[in-house]
Amino acid sequence: MKAFEWTSPATINEAVKMLTVASPGDIDEAPRPIAGGQDLLTTMKDYTSRPVRLVNLKNIRGLNRITLNAKQLNIGALVTLTELEEHAGVRKSFPGLAEAAHSIATPQIRNLGTVGGNLCQRPRCWYFRLEEVICLKKGGSECYAATGENKYNAIFGGGPSYIVHPSDLAPMLLALGATVTVIGSGGKRVIPLDKFFTLPSEGDIRRENVLKNEDIITEIHVPVSPLAARSTYLKFKERESLDFALASAAVAVQLAPNQTVKDARIVLGGVAPVPWRVPAAEKFLTGKNLTASVLAEVGKIALADAKPLDKNAYKVPLTQTLVRRALAKAGSV
Amino acid sequence: MQQQQPQPQPSPKPKKKIRVPRVVNGVEQMVEIEVDEDTGPGWGPNDKHTLLNHKITRVDGPKKVTGMALYTYDMRLPGMLYGRILRCPHGHARVTKLDTEAASKLPGVKAIIQGPLTELRFAGAPVAAVAATTPEIAGDALRAIKVTYEVLPHVVHATDAIRPDAPKVVAEENNLQEKAKNGDLQKAETAFATADAIVEGEYFSQRVHHACLETHGMVVDYRGGDSASIYASTQGTFTIPGDAAKELGLEQSKVIASVEHMGGGFGSKFGIGIEGMFACRLSKQTKSPVKLMLTRYDEFVMAGNRSGSWQKLKAGVKNDGTIVALTARQYRLGGIGQGSQAGQPYIYRMGDTYREVYALHTNEDSSIAMRAPGHPQASFAIESLVDELAYKIKMDPVAFRKKNLRDEVYHRQLDRGAKEIGWSRRNPVAGGNPGPLKRGMGCAVGTWGGGGNNQCKVDVTILQDGAVYVAVGTQDLGTGTRTYTRAIVAEELGIGMNDVEEHIGNSKLGAANPSGGSTTAPSLSPSVKDAAIKARMMMAERVAPLLGNPKPEEVVFSGGNVSANGRSITWKQAAAALPAAGITSHGVWRADLQARGVHGVSFAEVEVDIETGFIRPIKMVHIQDGGLPLNRLTMESQINGGMIQSLGMAFYEGRVMDAQLGMQLNPGFGDYKLPGSLEMPEMVPIIDDDDKREAVIGIAEGCIIPPLGALVNAVFNATGLRIRDLPITPDKILMGLMNTTVISRG
Repeated sequence: MKAFEWTSPATINEAVKMLTVASPGDIDEAPRPIAGGQDLLTTMKDYTSRPVRLVNLKNIRGLNRITLNAKQLNIGALVTLTELEEHAGVRKSFPGLAEAAHSIATPQIRNLGTVGGNLCQRPRCWYFRLEEVICLKKGGSECYAATGENKYNAIFGGGPSYIVHPSDLAPMLLALGATVTVIGSGGKRVIPLDKFFTLPSEGDIRRENVLKNEDIITEIHVPVSPLAARSTYLKFKERESLDFALASAAVAVQLAPNQTVKDARIVLGGVAPVPWRVPAAEKFLTGKNLTASVLAEVGKIALADAKPLDKNAYKVPLTQTLVRRALAKAGSV
Repeated sequence: MQQQQPQPQPSPKPKKKIRVPRVVNGVEQMVEIEVDEDTGPGWGPNDKHTLLNHKITRVDGPKKVTGMALYTYDMRLPGMLYGRILRCPHGHARVTKLDTEAASKLPGVKAIIQGPLTELRFAGAPVAAVAATTPEIAGDALRAIKVTYEVLPHVVHATDAIRPDAPKVVAEENNLQEKAKNGDLQKAETAFATADAIVEGEYFSQRVHHACLETHGMVVDYRGGDSASIYASTQGTFTIPGDAAKELGLEQSKVIASVEHMGGGFGSKFGIGIEGMFACRLSKQTKSPVKLMLTRYDEFVMAGNRSGSWQKLKAGVKNDGTIVALTARQYRLGGIGQGSQAGQPYIYRMGDTYREVYALHTNEDSSIAMRAPGHPQASFAIESLVDELAYKIKMDPVAFRKKNLRDEVYHRQLDRGAKEIGWSRRNPVAGGNPGPLKRGMGCAVGTWGGGGNNQCKVDVTILQDGAVYVAVGTQDLGTGTRTYTRAIVAEELGIGMNDVEEHIGNSKLGAANPSGGSTTAPSLSPSVKDAAIKARMMMAERVAPLLGNPKPEEVVFSGGNVSANGRSITWKQAAAALPAAGITSHGVWRADLQARGVHGVSFAEVEVDIETGFIRPIKMVHIQDGGLPLNRLTMESQINGGMIQSLGMAFYEGRVMDAQLGMQLNPGFGDYKLPGSLEMPEMVPIIDDDDKREAVIGIAEGCIIPPLGALVNAVFNATGLRIRDLPITPDKILMGLMNTTVISRG
């Protein structure tokens, strides 16, 4: 781990300032905010990130609260994954979100890892994580996963980089129509989550979202809705004890009184550089009963545009299964 | 002149010659030695022990769970520097320039030394080492060293390395080196013609890692004088001083090695290693203590691994279950090393057999010994093949194995295991269970040596106040050496576990063998027993006057009392009769207290979700014979450990190499997926008490061999899909099911 400066401001504005001054600009060396540190510290120990300064957010008041009213759930960025998972209101009105939080890592990591940090995790791609490999996302000229060992890489939205986004909360929050409040040098702004994550072909190839170096997520907002009440998150791990998703399905459905689907959200995780919404599959469900044949069909539609690499074609049938099973579960609750 | 009468010579003790294993770098070789034919008292019947063959909790357990046990990793000495190693990032390269100027100017950097290798044949090969006042400064210094490499072509996948135009791992040498040809190919071919069914398969086993929780390394405490102390994470206390002394330029006798507690070796920790060489040189140069423990990344890429294997097998079988012939082409995948793989048909009788064995080199760190070197690889392939043959002729896999194994012990163990797993519940039709969650069962058999050798010298001291010490330089790898060493003495003297203290893990103490080849218990325990018997006899002589002068062998030591002739005194009273300095006995190895040769049978049940490829291990059973179990708890732990490591190799673990970069992509516990607590099935370790041998036999390796085959065969029984490429992960299941139009069914 490279030596760094430690600052512990008491206000958000001070924190933004500490992230701005004397910044080298490069994302891997610029000052970084730290909350739980569960991802950041691993990248620092591996020298894949070398921030000149860490700005501790844990001395700032008001960032670690969950509030729930009739219209909206507000989750402070510093709320831990454990707190989210165990919150009674979340479990009742946003069951998929509690499930997504529970699916993450280990109890020890969930006790420290925060909701804001979870959304800002860097990719798990092993080429990215190796200090010696200067891949496209670290300023190099090549995505080694494109033709290399790409078992865990993207089947949607890839190119020129083929990372998958590692967050489990992101697909679920996206399915529930969440927004995030961000404070940066230009003040406060609210960003819908579907505008937050960026594809490698669209945004800055070195980043996975629209945040700038000095931006801090302060809160996540999720509308209360019938969809949220009938939501579920199904994550597939090769190793149950501790693993990232090989694929996941975040789904939410609203049923009409006659049990047909009134509205549906299907967002896939672990298969694309961003949480991957499949509108065609959502549309297909509208007005239909969640019968076995409809479920089988919707799985196929959801994966119809997948473009597997050499070693990840298995993600297609796997994700089809997850979509089908997640919808069956959400529909039967 | 007076004629000198010939002095009566004591007639020499009758001797006999026996063959024993000797372990070099974790691999056992058989050597012939001479031992006394005249033996002392034995262990007695296995069911008559008061401590041994019972469940004894580990004596170092409380220290370990409270963090009081100090490992090499925990050592912190005044003025100690931290060593770190700079690794080559290329699959094959030469260093043309090493510029250390900037690095050496960093505050806190005390020494930088270049490594001994001129040609670096794998990514991760050590280039240089740094000693600095903190590990972080050492890490920064490594990155400040400017290395200019001449990058050479590399090859890291065996299927690429075998091509004639592949880059050469060693210049002017073929990557493929023939090692042995055995048997008669013509005869085997002829026999194939008599077979009713033939199975041909190509089997790959991956390179897995030892994954010791404590990485390799040592602390060298040298401050410029004539002597040094070394704290080492090693499997051989006595493998350290010689090499370390050479590096430090000291007399061997002036270098003391200490191994109080150590965090696992599994065959990977003999001698000082290249990290120890660096630690010694850095310490010598700085005249300061140096701690050099590998980082986890280092550990993965430069501290060895289990040899991979690639085996092309063909076997023929008659409808009555008789295997008539086998041909095998076996590639040992040892990276730049020779690799290891037991010859086929491993433990089966298969009529006319023929095999060719090759080493196939790649630009990867050399494989080294790992728990039963070469055996799980051979067992996985042959047990898969045997299973395929059984299904092909529609014969029950248990019955089929019995048919082709003569040894009655296997029959007994197969029957026991079948009962324990519930074999009768198994659907004989592979993949035949309804629904997406399919259960299946498999079995496999194994063998190991586990005999001892005559290296251990043990002292037992009894003091006047009743204190008892047993001392020997041996090391406890976490295998329970401390506990049984204490238990043997306590049982012999009829006192409690807490009445004896063991002193181990120091090269100043009596000699002991390195722990490899399951030789520790059968080498050490006879010497401990011998010393304990001798101490008992010495004490019996001393206390005889208090007990009406019985013969020493008539004195009974039991329940904390010493008795004879109807008289009884307490242990303390008896000890008070000893001389002021107490007594010390000296034990040596006795061949008759140990034996060699174990079997071992495994069964496994799994559940496979054929819509996700997820494999849930349901239950594992392993039955192990091993003569006298010194400690049943330890033996069960060993069996559990064998099952768990096999589970890792079957379904989770594996080194992933990138062809283009020549690097390992998963050198950490995040991406190198060891099985965790949620992967554990119900585990049933069974000690085969029908083995009545009154002798100690090492079993640590026997129990890591067959569980792998049992798991792999269970997946086939569940799915009807035969995957011959380890580890069996969900992607392989899903792709296999997608690509298999006709699933082979039994």
